[in-house]
Amino acid sequence: MDSEDDMHDANDAESMDDDYYSGDTAVEYSEDDDDGDDDGDYEFDNDSVDSDDVSTSRRQQKNYIALKEADIRQHQENEITTISTVLSISRVDASILLRHYHWSVSNVHEVWFADEDRVRKAVGLLERPVVRFPNAKELTCGICFESFPLDRISSAACGHPFCNLCWRAYMSTSIDGGPGCLMLRCPDPSCGAAIGQDMINLLVSEEDKEKYARYLLRSYIEDNRKTKWCPAPGCEYAVEFVVGSENYDVSCLCSYGFCWNCTEEAHRPVDCGTVAKWIMKNSAESENMNWILANSKPCPKCKRPIEKNQGCMHMTCTPPCKFEFCWLCLGAWSDHGERTGGFYACNRYEAAKQEGAYDETERRREMAKNSLERYTHYYERWATNQSSRQKALADLHQMQTVNLEKLSDKQSQPESQLKFITEAWLQIVECRRVLKWTYAYGYYLPEPEQAKRQFFEYLQGEAEAGLERLHQCAEKDVQAYLGAEPPPTDFNDFRTKLAGLTSVTRNYFENLVRALENGLSDVDSQGASSKTATAKSVAAFGKGKSGRGKSSRAGGPSKNSDDHGFWTCDQCTYFNTRSLPTCEMCHQPRRNA
Amino acid sequence: MGPTQRDALSKIACNRLQKELVEWQVNPPSGFKHKVTDNLQRWVIEVNGAPGTLYAGETYQLQVDFPEHYPMEAPQVIFVPPAPLHPHIYSNGHICLDILYDSWSPAMTVSSICISILSMLSSSPVKQRPADNDRYVKNCKNGRSPKETRWWFHDDKV
Ligand SMILES: [Zn+2]
Ligand SMILES: [Zn+2]
Ligand SMILES: [Zn+2]
Ligand SMILES: [Zn+2]
Ligand SMILES: [Zn+2]
Ligand SMILES: [Zn+2]
Ligand SMILES: [Zn+2]
Repeated sequence: MDSEDDMHDANDAESMDDDYYSGDTAVEYSEDDDDGDDDGDYEFDNDSVDSDDVSTSRRQQKNYIALKEADIRQHQENEITTISTVLSISRVDASILLRHYHWSVSNVHEVWFADEDRVRKAVGLLERPVVRFPNAKELTCGICFESFPLDRISSAACGHPFCNLCWRAYMSTSIDGGPGCLMLRCPDPSCGAAIGQDMINLLVSEEDKEKYARYLLRSYIEDNRKTKWCPAPGCEYAVEFVVGSENYDVSCLCSYGFCWNCTEEAHRPVDCGTVAKWIMKNSAESENMNWILANSKPCPKCKRPIEKNQGCMHMTCTPPCKFEFCWLCLGAWSDHGERTGGFYACNRYEAAKQEGAYDETERRREMAKNSLERYTHYYERWATNQSSRQKALADLHQMQTVNLEKLSDKQSQPESQLKFITEAWLQIVECRRVLKWTYAYGYYLPEPEQAKRQFFEYLQGEAEAGLERLHQCAEKDVQAYLGAEPPPTDFNDFRTKLAGLTSVTRNYFENLVRALENGLSDVDSQGASSKTATAKSVAAFGKGKSGRGKSSRAGGPSKNSDDHGFWTCDQCTYFNTRSLPTCEMCHQPRRNA
Repeated sequence: MGPTQRDALSKIACNRLQKELVEWQVNPPSGFKHKVTDNLQRWVIEVNGAPGTLYAGETYQLQVDFPEHYPMEAPQVIFVPPAPLHPHIYSNGHICLDILYDSWSPAMTVSSICISILSMLSSSPVKQRPADNDRYVKNCKNGRSPKETRWWFHDDKV
């Protein structure tokens, strides 16, 4: 089945990811954890971690861990053991106490040692019975009011007698009512004695025992401030997060990446508020936007419908037309892809400006049209990057399960030498996600902040252009080595190109992410230090606009010009600040400076 | 809402109600009178306002309907209109009292409910309807049971 395949693939991708990034995080994690309420005994799924730590430094410490059911059980058991040992109480009492205090060991310590009596009272942990019947042979059940011999009567720590049948009905009614059964108390209205799992297990049916145990396990995730279930449909893993960490993006073992804060799909560097607004907007406009999700558009030149079946945006019409165009803006691809010395501007939105006098109605109609057009621009890019990412995930899977082996065979190279291909795909998947969210960001970036907008669009455009080159190379160039007989001999050139594009694209995106996370404040700080230079260079960022969809790209600043405080890299076209001797993106030394 | 519409009492419920009835006859809560009928599933009880309180000398009627799984489930208790003017009692007779809903325990009885209701009446410093009376009563049209309400219990200082 499709979904199972995906799941499998996802796991592969994740373990891959793990051995790339995590290194010996298990130790780091517990050091990082300043809550002090953890045993620090985190276990990672270590079988996938090999000694190859190519890029351990690439991502900072994981500030979360994903938990399988066995891990959840283990964590819960460990905490119960800790509390039971330190407080010298039974495990059942420790479990009741922990649940009451949201499974926070430190919290339980604190309140217990501050005022044990008060805590016992609040939670219902009695030290001695409140009623005793020392010489009774029979007792009356407080629910059915029948008398029973003692062996058919049970009581919690308080001693209030109820017959086993009434207990069973009482407990089962509560268990049927949901997780509230974890807070069950003695039925006597004047009594608050807690009922624990031990007593439940003595009195209820097998089915109810299981339900109760399930609720108890779930409670460890749901009542806990540090943990959440993975929101992916059908996923049963949970994620434990180091509360207080700045980066909310977490990745479940099922490979679904989500934001720990708002549980939407991972959206770094865009903040949760923007994401929530954007998702609302999308559902409000969904009817207007259906057509965007259609996978076919007329070729801008010959008008025949062209189906999009690949991840990158570079479309080539079928022969004889063969027109190469951009899926998003329908402009000629020659304006987008390779270095043109100008600016990549497909990401920018510019309202069609009409000259001449408007009457009021016309102006309104125009504004309404523009606002929908503007939204459409951002939404289409957001949605297309989303589907492009899905496609990339599928391609990655195909690569890992079929094509790597094939390539290794044809090129007589061990698969370990082909890691650069997997790395490229992982980079594409991540970049499509980031790029997608930057379109939500762009939509909400305040219009009047011209300098910021231009800076943002510049960074986004560079990143996007880089990603298109990378995606195209990974998707199309590789075909030559998979199909042709005899296999081409320039495989090493392909390796150099793809690895280079991967690294350059990663730098572009890191740069973009950093800038957005700083709220594009670089524009401000530069503005403060050297106003004129920045004004000029920012104006330069904007010039590419005129090239949108056309080929009049010469309007950009000349290459290597340093009179704006920036120089353009020969290799990757990145705009570097004047003070840098090498390109910030690709580390190419600056030429003719 | 009548007994015909609900499931018949379980055997456990019948036994328990028989016992409550016998106990009531021997030892009725003071201020209450059970109006004898042959219907075990619905009790109608006369309430007399306690002397020395705002409700002294007034008489009201409580209607208590028992579910199939009484006492595991709470009975439905309402005043038959006209209901007493009280900050926790709506004009349609619904009573905002936690033991009738979330805080019900099978160890409680009709008699203990009556005592709680009388104490609620006696402690009231003012005769008035709940602030949200009109809205609530309007929402209860179509015969909604108070047990279907998600009660937000009023401050018990009143
Ligand atoms: Zn019993
Ligand atoms: Zn008790
Ligand atoms: Zn998951
Ligand atoms: Zn979020
Ligand atoms: Zn064409
Ligand atoms: Zn384009
Ligand atoms: Zn460069």
